[in-house]
Amino acid sequence: MSMTDRVRKLRQQSLDSLETLSGERAELMTAFYKQDLGLISSPVRRAMAFHYLMENKAICINDGELIVGEKGPAPKAAPTFPELCCHTLEDLDVLDTREKISFKVCSDLRDRYKKTIIPYWQGKSLRDLLFKEMRPEWMAAYNAGIFTEFMEQRAPGHTVLDNKIYNKGMLDFQAEIDTQLAALDYLHDPEAYEKQEELKAMHLAAGALIRFAERHALKVLSLVKQEFDPLRKKELQNIAEVCTQVPAHAPRNFWEALQYYWFVHLGVTTELNTWDAFCPGRLDQHLLPFYEQGLNDGSLSRPFAEELLQCFWIKFNNQPAPPKVGVTALESSTYTDFAQINLGGLRPDGSDGVNEVTYLLLDVIEEMRLIQPSTSIQVSKKNPDRFIKRAARIIRTGFGQPSVFNADLIVQELVRMGKDLIDARCGGSSGCVEVGAFGKENYNLTGYFNLPKVLEITLHNGIDPRTGQQIGLETGDPRNFIRYDDLFVAFEKQLNYFIDIKVRGNNVIERLYAHYMPCPFLSLLIDDCIVRGKDYHNGGARYNTSYIQGVGIGTMTDSLTALKYHVYDQMTFSMADLLKLLETDFTKDERTRQLLLNRTPKFGNDDDYPDSLMTSLFDVYFNAVDGRHNTRGGQYHINLLPTTVHIYFGSVIGATPDGRLAGTSLSEGVSPVQGADKRGPTAVLRSVAKMDHVRTGGTLLNQKFTPQLLSTDDGLDKLVQLIRTYFKLDGHHIQFNVVDAETLRAAQKDPDQYRSLIVRVAGYSDYFCDLIPTLQDEIIARTEQKEF
Amino acid sequence: MNGMASTDRSKCDDCGICCDTCYNNAREMTGRVMTVSQVMAEIERDVPFYDQSGGGVTFSGGEPLLQSRFLRELLLACRAHDIHTTVDTSGYAAWETLESVQEYVNLFLYDLKLMNDDRHIHYTGVSNRVILRNLQRLSQSGYRILVRIPLIPGVNDDEYNLRQSGSFLSTLPCILGVELISYHHLATAKYEALGLSFPLSETHSPNADEMQHSAVLLSEFGLTVKVV
Repeated sequence: MSMTDRVRKLRQQSLDSLETLSGERAELMTAFYKQDLGLISSPVRRAMAFHYLMENKAICINDGELIVGEKGPAPKAAPTFPELCCHTLEDLDVLDTREKISFKVCSDLRDRYKKTIIPYWQGKSLRDLLFKEMRPEWMAAYNAGIFTEFMEQRAPGHTVLDNKIYNKGMLDFQAEIDTQLAALDYLHDPEAYEKQEELKAMHLAAGALIRFAERHALKVLSLVKQEFDPLRKKELQNIAEVCTQVPAHAPRNFWEALQYYWFVHLGVTTELNTWDAFCPGRLDQHLLPFYEQGLNDGSLSRPFAEELLQCFWIKFNNQPAPPKVGVTALESSTYTDFAQINLGGLRPDGSDGVNEVTYLLLDVIEEMRLIQPSTSIQVSKKNPDRFIKRAARIIRTGFGQPSVFNADLIVQELVRMGKDLIDARCGGSSGCVEVGAFGKENYNLTGYFNLPKVLEITLHNGIDPRTGQQIGLETGDPRNFIRYDDLFVAFEKQLNYFIDIKVRGNNVIERLYAHYMPCPFLSLLIDDCIVRGKDYHNGGARYNTSYIQGVGIGTMTDSLTALKYHVYDQMTFSMADLLKLLETDFTKDERTRQLLLNRTPKFGNDDDYPDSLMTSLFDVYFNAVDGRHNTRGGQYHINLLPTTVHIYFGSVIGATPDGRLAGTSLSEGVSPVQGADKRGPTAVLRSVAKMDHVRTGGTLLNQKFTPQLLSTDDGLDKLVQLIRTYFKLDGHHIQFNVVDAETLRAAQKDPDQYRSLIVRVAGYSDYFCDLIPTLQDEIIARTEQKEF
Repeated sequence: MNGMASTDRSKCDDCGICCDTCYNNAREMTGRVMTVSQVMAEIERDVPFYDQSGGGVTFSGGEPLLQSRFLRELLLACRAHDIHTTVDTSGYAAWETLESVQEYVNLFLYDLKLMNDDRHIHYTGVSNRVILRNLQRLSQSGYRILVRIPLIPGVNDDEYNLRQSGSFLSTLPCILGVELISYHHLATAKYEALGLSFPLSETHSPNADEMQHSAVLLSEFGLTVKVV
């Protein structure tokens, strides 16, 4: 494939760099906060902190780069955010030494944490405050593994940029802010002062990014003096010019557009550790005018555009996700920071969005073959088959990208939630599979929700069998339930009870971020924060959504089916007998476990018996969550995706009625339980399509194929048809693993031989060898489709 | 035996109770009795996929013509539902049998193994005369046919057989093309399950060059050849 030497070198450097922890940001933040600044409003304080960072953090220019800037002082040096979550020395040791997803901690860093950072932040971070504010019921549910909390060590992010930076420089943003400031009505608007402070903060933050770029220009110019190679000298001069033009002014060309986005990306992800980093969104839409103009006036060639994009790609790969610890590490056990780039979809006027840059980007994805950035194709009925087929050629090389989304359904989903049609068309997917209106929405994922755990609680009348604690409602001894409906009604009660606890907690946590951790820089970039004079964390965005992600719907459906089928319909055994069996983890009766596995209807086989239980379950979850109000003026919606939490959630649940052994992983996304689907991919798609995806904000479906299936042109065509049909049936998303089980088992035994092996996990790709063993097992077990 | 379940064929009466009783699915009964409506219910599940891809259902086996009345009913039902039908057959049946189903078949996949009758009898146990005649008649009646030749080293991959096949096929109208199928050992499992020994276990699969060489040879007769 075509890669220049420069790109080859930079790419290799990216792959070879070890993930390290950088103490730079923590130190700077500590030094800033130690200053006695008197009475400063929260947003201004944060903006000044951001400015302090941008003014003082090390500027890193790697050899041969065309796009410049790193989050930390070097590639893959991950900063920490002690004001949100201050790592203890034990945490640092764990990060340094753990087998998977480790970050090297040098002794100097450890020292500085010990001497300076921990003493200042211990007990003072947002995380400390958060846990203090959470009530006992919340703590009990959290510790039991009923739900996770996304914001306990990371800031709410979950948003994507639209096209505004391609038309506006930071100076233009500042001018807009000045207009708003001048228009504040201190006489009639009781919020005028708060707005003033927020706007001042945003103004400051915009200036900070200009300064950051300026410092890069200065550093680059100093390198020019030492550079002997005339070609590189010219390049460095170009880079300095680019860093002077953007982000202060709107970009004038393709190179400036990319560099501008990159500075913005660094700004957002250094201000706070936003969950799911930040995303450029519909990049092929945004870059097209620059691409065409460049080709027309001769300043750009396709090869050079490709090279710039390849450099851009490497930048993403240099940024591992901020190190997590505890539950958060288990729910998101990966280096991937989930910056996602969308290709295709619809233009604002509803027409086919696939263009020349789309195909250019697909070439880049294929050539670069990197874990980050994540990429997706947004497939509309208006997009040509050629687009999907081109992506399918990349999918079959087996690194799990790009994932495939139903663009038309996404528009429907967003409009159902009350969004404007044009805003919806300009939106898409991000993170794993969640959807939002790019540039205009704060669509915060608040945590995963463990549906099978709630069933377990129901089956124990509100007690968590793992601890013996009463953490749920007393909905009745299930041995006295006469009909299946009695059980299901009890489950619904428990579900609503725990959702209430989660939402109550979220309502507080949202306010904590709004009060203590505003993000004036991010707020600049998302409408309508400037116009409203409100922070992104405080309802400034046009749309303010909260998501709760349901997990384990496959395991749940099969468990409910087993209960209904065997206890109530066929009366194979009593509830009492089944509960005893589950308690002992089937140790005394493997035969009945086999009955539950092999003589029970299962979700994923296009069988209405289990599938109708799935839709009832979906309705109950939907009704419990959808439409509730958050504190930012928006609503709750559901989505169904796990990242890696199905492993953690499984570990806190005993044996389940579907025959699953205690502690083992749950099903992931909306996929059937691993191995339960026995009738091929068309049956799986039909089952999953019975769910009403349009009422969600995203569902995740994994399918695994062996390479042989897709090795011919014919095979690729079939994949295209499969995707089209699933989307015709209103499925939301599908992603493909194309590796055989033999390869995966071999990789488990001998990881050094398979370091480059990439697989699709759940909404992202990752190196198989970086995955924890239980997740590796789970991917192997995921049904291997031997034929269509 | 050797840690694997096996069947004593002298005592087995195919009652299937062992399959039902073992919940671990260690035993599996291959095949079951179904009505036309039951089969159609299965077929219709995939209609959205057929609509999208222009595909349909393929009746195969074994030999579907051995159940020609059942097959005919199914073909009629598919036709009524606008579902494209393909029948995959060896062609070894009475002409009347083929005649009874042909008009409801959109595409035939027709096996052509060996042109020389003596060799055909040696390897398959039956003469190829009926097979060849049926193919001729089917083709001459205007039915669309895709011919499939399994290329088996040492059995039918010699130049003489290929030339004879090519020559024969080139005289027939309505032959859409020829699929040359690389011999594989997937049938071994079936033989073992039936307690039979597999006579061609020593025969290797043809390599890519052998396949290509044979394909080129056949295409000299004006046939469209695809290597599978």
